[in-house]
Amino acid sequence: MPSLGTSFGRGGATTAQQDLQFSDAILIMGSSMAENHPVGFQWVMEARQKGAKVIHVDPRFNRTSAMADHWLPLRAGTDIVFLGALINYALTHGKYFREYVVHYTNAGTLLRKDFKDTEDLDGIFSGFDAEGKCYSPETWNYDGAPTTQSRNGKHPGHSDDTGGHGKDRGGEAGEIDQHKEDPTLQNPRCVFQVLKRHFSRYTADLVESSCGIPKAKFLEVAETFTSASGPEKTAAICYAVGWTQHSNGAQIIRAAAILQLLLGNIGRPGGGILALRGHATIQGSTDIPTLYDILPGYLPMPFFEDDSDKLSEYIEKHTPKTGWWANFDKYVISLLKAWYGDAATKDNDFGFNFLPRVSGDHSHFGYWLDMADGKMDGLFVMGQNPAVGAPNARLERKALSKLKWLVVRDLVETETASFWKDAPEISRGELRTEDITTEIFFLPAAGHAEKAGSYTNTQRLVQFREKAVDPQGDCRGETWFMYHLGLRLKKRAAQIPSVRNAGLNALTWQYETEGPHDEPVAEDILAEINGFKTSNREQISGYKELKNDGSTACGCWIYSGVMPSRDQNKALKREPKGRYGHGWGYAWPSDRRILYNRASARPDGEPWSERKKLVWWDKDEKKWIGLDIPDFTETKAPDYKPGRNAKGDDALAGDKPFIMHQDGVGWIWVSSGLKDGPLPTHYEPLESVSTNPLYPNRLISPVADKKERSDNAYAFPNDQRFPYILSTYRLTEHHTAGGMSRLLPHLAELQPELFAEISPELAVQLKVKHGRYVTISTMRGVIEARALITERIKSLLIDGKTVHQVCVPYHFGYKGLVTGDTVNDLLAISEEPNVRIMETKALVCNVRAGRIPHDKNDLKIWRQELGRPA
Amino acid sequence: MSTDTTAFLTDSTLCIGCKACEVACKEWNQLPDDGFKWSGNSYDNTGALGHSTWRHVKFVEGTPEAGIGGNSGEQLPAWSFSSDVCKHCEIAGCLDACPTGAIVRMEFGAVYIQPDVCNGCSYCVVSCPFGVVQRNVDDGRAFKCTFCSDRQRAGLEPACAKACPTESIKFGKLDELTAEAESRLQALKARGIHDAVIYNPTETSVGGIHSLFLLRGDPSSFNLPPQPEAPVIYMKKGWTSAAIAAGSMLALALMSFMGARR
Amino acid sequence: MSHLPTRVPDVESESRLADIRRKAAQQEPMNGGVIPLGAPFPPPQVTKGYYEIPLLKEPQWTNEIPLYFFVGGAAGAAAVVASAASIMNGDPDLVRSARWVAALGGLLSPPLLISDLGMPSRFLNMLRVFKVQSPMSVGAWTLMAFSTFSAASVFTNLMRRKLGNSTPVALIENAAGMLAAASGLVMASYTGVLVGATVIPVWNKHVGSLPMHFAASGLNSAVSILELMNHDDSRALNILGLAASGYEIAEGALIELDRDRTNRPLQHGRSGFFVRLGGLLSGPVPFTLRIAYALTGNKKLRRAAALSSLAGSLLTRFGWVEAGKASARDYQIPLSRAQS
Ligand SMILES: Nc1nc2c(c(=O)[nH]1)N[C@H]1C(S)=C(S)[C@@H](COP(=O)(O)OP(=O)(O)OC[C@H]3O[C@@H](n4cnc5c(=O)[nH]c(N)nc54)[C@H](O)[C@@H]3O)O[C@H]1N2
Ligand SMILES: Nc1nc2c(c(=O)[nH]1)N[C@H]1C(S)=C(S)[C@@H](COP(=O)(O)OP(=O)(O)OC[C@H]3O[C@@H](n4cnc5c(=O)[nH]c(N)nc54)[C@H](O)[C@@H]3O)O[C@H]1N2
Ligand code: SF4
Ligand code: SF4
Ligand code: SF4
Ligand code: SF4
Ligand code: SF4
Ligand SMILES: [Mo]
Repeated sequence: MPSLGTSFGRGGATTAQQDLQFSDAILIMGSSMAENHPVGFQWVMEARQKGAKVIHVDPRFNRTSAMADHWLPLRAGTDIVFLGALINYALTHGKYFREYVVHYTNAGTLLRKDFKDTEDLDGIFSGFDAEGKCYSPETWNYDGAPTTQSRNGKHPGHSDDTGGHGKDRGGEAGEIDQHKEDPTLQNPRCVFQVLKRHFSRYTADLVESSCGIPKAKFLEVAETFTSASGPEKTAAICYAVGWTQHSNGAQIIRAAAILQLLLGNIGRPGGGILALRGHATIQGSTDIPTLYDILPGYLPMPFFEDDSDKLSEYIEKHTPKTGWWANFDKYVISLLKAWYGDAATKDNDFGFNFLPRVSGDHSHFGYWLDMADGKMDGLFVMGQNPAVGAPNARLERKALSKLKWLVVRDLVETETASFWKDAPEISRGELRTEDITTEIFFLPAAGHAEKAGSYTNTQRLVQFREKAVDPQGDCRGETWFMYHLGLRLKKRAAQIPSVRNAGLNALTWQYETEGPHDEPVAEDILAEINGFKTSNREQISGYKELKNDGSTACGCWIYSGVMPSRDQNKALKREPKGRYGHGWGYAWPSDRRILYNRASARPDGEPWSERKKLVWWDKDEKKWIGLDIPDFTETKAPDYKPGRNAKGDDALAGDKPFIMHQDGVGWIWVSSGLKDGPLPTHYEPLESVSTNPLYPNRLISPVADKKERSDNAYAFPNDQRFPYILSTYRLTEHHTAGGMSRLLPHLAELQPELFAEISPELAVQLKVKHGRYVTISTMRGVIEARALITERIKSLLIDGKTVHQVCVPYHFGYKGLVTGDTVNDLLAISEEPNVRIMETKALVCNVRAGRIPHDKNDLKIWRQELGRPA
Repeated sequence: MSTDTTAFLTDSTLCIGCKACEVACKEWNQLPDDGFKWSGNSYDNTGALGHSTWRHVKFVEGTPEAGIGGNSGEQLPAWSFSSDVCKHCEIAGCLDACPTGAIVRMEFGAVYIQPDVCNGCSYCVVSCPFGVVQRNVDDGRAFKCTFCSDRQRAGLEPACAKACPTESIKFGKLDELTAEAESRLQALKARGIHDAVIYNPTETSVGGIHSLFLLRGDPSSFNLPPQPEAPVIYMKKGWTSAAIAAGSMLALALMSFMGARR
Repeated sequence: MSHLPTRVPDVESESRLADIRRKAAQQEPMNGGVIPLGAPFPPPQVTKGYYEIPLLKEPQWTNEIPLYFFVGGAAGAAAVVASAASIMNGDPDLVRSARWVAALGGLLSPPLLISDLGMPSRFLNMLRVFKVQSPMSVGAWTLMAFSTFSAASVFTNLMRRKLGNSTPVALIENAAGMLAAASGLVMASYTGVLVGATVIPVWNKHVGSLPMHFAASGLNSAVSILELMNHDDSRALNILGLAASGYEIAEGALIELDRDRTNRPLQHGRSGFFVRLGGLLSGPVPFTLRIAYALTGNKKLRRAAALSSLAGSLLTRFGWVEAGKASARDYQIPLSRAQS
């Protein structure tokens, strides 16, 4: 969530699904919400009933489009062109919410003279290091703000091999609280004017020629959306992986953030940006991360080269003087206390050096490619099915065969667990079972009803769930597995007290257990996450109580307050009250449902309008009150002005709603934290059938990592062998890699076979009949699918040339009641620079009528495809 | 009918085609799958109601125009979904036809097959004007939507209605829903959706249904018959003919033997 | 079945395509426009229905049912013949044979009916209730009565011939015979209501004639069986045969003349073949043979007529059940037709 993190301060959806019902317009883009978030979609329907306009922009006319007032088909991967044009429209037609923009964003902030825009440098920003293929953000800094440097001369968040620091909380490459600004927004070097110039070429005509959306239609929709905002109205944007899974995904979301800031839609009812997350508690797994480069609560993981081994220096570097993050030290030290308990003392930097260091790209693709090169011994795969779900699945499966051992913990025997006997590589003779030396352990997992625990859903709502039934046989929950694995490892480590094992030996690992199998009590873990006083283990009531002297411990500061006392688990509460159902679960932080909601009031503390009131300043009570819990220091008056050298939150004035940021405003301009630029710019997908209409010499993002290699090859620009756009998506009837749907008869029967959605026009060209098979190939592999020829797919007119899009659901694999070829065999492993996510939504392919035999000849057929003249 | 008879109002203008109803029904009633065959009929691979499918979501594809989505009044929806179910007819052909009395009318108006009585004569199958009920050849008995009589008895709403995320399936008192359908129709018309219609064949011998539908365009495109008739309307004709047949056969026989004597 | 050659699209052809579509959207489906191979999906129309999936469910009756129609019909008619004969004190042997035919039919019918049930063990559930509104229920009870009385009539007939003509037994026999005949009349005709009073278009279209049709067919086969049992000198039987096949000719003609779509299963396909052949064999063929017999007195002709009628009425029953299945498959009828 780096785009939301940098733009607003927190890496999470700014609003709640229920709040959509108060919108006057809803733009759903890069998501098929009706299909993939059907329950949440009821609030969109609610809004529609109340007369809100629903706009869906999607390459396919899908179940969401069918519910929308406007559907605009667009060429996959051109979202920034579309959003840029909306921004341009808002700016040039005076649709932006000036008062909001002036007070609540950094539009007036002046930029350095030496900054050069992509418009000046033909597609790159200043500070680009060509052979390092990365940016130095120095010139992006605010005018007058001193820059901070790391030991290795690199800027925080911009050393090459990392997802990057501060990406989820606002950059840290400069002390940007000190800067020049121009409230009149006139100065040519102020963000507002730079923005205007930057997007001046994103016009309705460009949208028509590049996205394939009729100009008139675009203008109609632009008018509809932009005029549904201002003091009396608000509009919301919903997105999901149709945006994120692009080589510039983070910047697409940034464009949405800029648009919403310009229209004054953040922190207000019916506004906001709703990031529709994926798996249950995928939000939770970034809050308390399964990621390699952040610690719980979006604290930066220390990096080997550019972070000091001294806690003080680490803190110094990552702590801004102003804004909420000034409390950084309290959160880190409390985390260390939670993890290392008494072993964490002042003298040993609270065990700071027990923490491992990031020494390279340890993301999924980073280590998977190492695996493919035989650099890895063993792997735990828990709750994942990469043999089907991960891009270039063929490579991923082959890589598994290079392991010495593999542990798969799943509800069912997935393709990942059984690749050694039934993967297509076996039938194609690429792998021989006899040759695979990998020792594979399949451990049955308990399902969600068979264990207690919590989910954090798409709107940061932590909901605790009790165990309904005991797991059968040897099935065990994750906590049980992790806890007992931990015990065993610690036992081992205790015998060998090396430096390497110091962390493991110091790690606190006592949890209450229950039941015949000593299952750790989930609430006991939640208690640690909430935090407590180290002296008497008394629960703390919230993160405001955390200290930097080791007197408090807290497993994840943003969750602090979820369990203020042992007998009070707010995540388990089921008594909804009021408009946002407070009392049902617990939304981090501090149970705030709409983030930055101070912005729902004018600078003077009055609501912008009666219709759109949310929180406001009560003059008599002298505090902020309203329909939601104020995301603001409760008693800080609107007219509060900070003293000369005030620190932290006190340094922010009473009209600065974005309290996580050093300057307390929303960032139209992101001076650091994002590795691909301070502003979004359109680049073509890594594989594209078109040229970049804006920068002919810069086809693709200069900092995206293609991980190009013989077994992860790409088509050339405008490759005649692969003339069609391929995009992948989901079906309501299945779930992701299918382990949870292809084995259930009641779901499997609803979508029993892999199909490809093809436009009638393309069908004519390919001479393929509806329901017959087509063979789809890319530089990575070849699959077959049934042709579902439908008017719902439109061939688009791009630059006078007809472009055909082929859309395929990716749920199928070679196990289960219903099987189908693995679409991910077609995809490439690639890394968006900030979050290292692959590009699943826009690539190129060839399509032919006919099937593949599913034996050795598959590869022959595939090579023929590659062999065709480019 | 008494005011506490319950009913469905399935509003296809609110249906997002998620099939939650279909799955919820199968889960609650532990129904078998219909087999795993890809139909190519849009996203509908289960085809129709039958012994193993008691809720069925239909997918009707039109021709989407760029920039015009399903619910703008501007044109027919390009892709419309509608969840079909047993109509629980006022005059239920299946109920009248059942020779064992297995099919009964529940206190809340449901037409319910008692599985412990049905002997699988399959006469109800040819007596349902909506093609709902069907004999399961493996099991031998006939099956269809129970209107979740078990749940209703326990004061719960039917599983399908419960599962529907968008309230496309409304469950409630028949008279209230009939009124709601009317007001909803007016609301849609007001939004320029002039092709919205209520499907509730009260004029025919079916005499009204407990599963009202609100949809756009021609109900026929969702396989809802324009004029469903319960077999009862054929009885008079049939038995008259039978009487004539019997009478003339008897007369003929007597006469021929009388004549034969001379 | 594309109306268009594969085209290389360009700006101009694209815009053409666009307004073809727009027109298509306004008027009815885009015929004449672009109809690519197998696409687009049939846009909703009354005549198309829902992907041509039948609205009605096919009758799930197995072959036992038409067979039962045949046997039950013949038996019922036989009982009538028996009583008619005995009333008019015709040939006692003929009466006896007729009673036997009725009784055997009454014995054979229940197993046929039961074996079609999904749960034969639950046949008796049919006798839980009596529902006038359900022809199936009426039929079940009638069959029960018929089997009993027809059996009773032969039993008493046997006793009489053992114990000699004691009046009481004769009375009982005649009483049983009368009751068998009464229920026999229903047996021979109710099956017409059974199929006619359903939602199957081709069946309910003919609900007004089916009972007579089936009754005639039953009489035809009853007469024929008796004739083949060497009662081939009874003038009465030949008259009845003539009447029955005469009716069948008329019925057949009516069906053939009505070319309404609903009638198609009676004129085309497997079912059409059965019905037509059945009609021929139970109508014109035996009629002419019987006339010829009446003129020449050649019994071979009469026996041929009998055989033909039997085959004919058996085929007729199978034909009608088949026709019902075909009719249910025709998705257009219930969508387009406004029924009576
Ligand atoms: N039923 C069901 N629900 C699910 C899941 C599931 O598997 N099944 N998965 C869950 C998970 S893990 C996730 S992450 C979410 C994902 O939720 P979504 O993001 O909604 O899922 P997708 O269908 O992959 O992609 C959404 C849409 O993006 C469109 N799209 C493709 N390329 C582009 C593009 O370049 N631009 C734009 N604007 N749109 C594009 C696709 O056509 C598709 O309609 O769903 C969650 N919910
Ligand atoms: N082409 C293409 N590829 C994609 C995407 C795309 O849009 N297009 N989407 C991407 C996205 S957003 C995602 S999230 C991934 C998903 O890809 P994966 O996460 O690899 O696929 P899933 O099927 O969700 O794997 C989850 C597994 O966890 C198991 N499981 C469920 N509950 C539990 C539990 O409690 N414990 C344990 N141990 N296991 C459990 C399930 O049985 C299932 O096998 O796919 C990605 N891949
Ligand atoms: S599956 Fe669960 S999370 Fe997804 S929409 Fe349904 S209820 Fe919500
Ligand atoms: S719809 Fe058919 S099955 Fe349902 S009640 Fe009416 S007649 Fe019976
Ligand atoms: S099949 Fe069962 S429910 Fe249907 S009519 Fe026969 S006995 Fe009644
Ligand atoms: S009422 Fe119950 S049985 Fe009928 S369709 Fe709904 S869930 Fe299924
Ligand atoms: S659950 Fe509701 S919305 Fe989903 S398909 Fe059924 S009726 Fe439609
Ligand atoms: Mo996901």
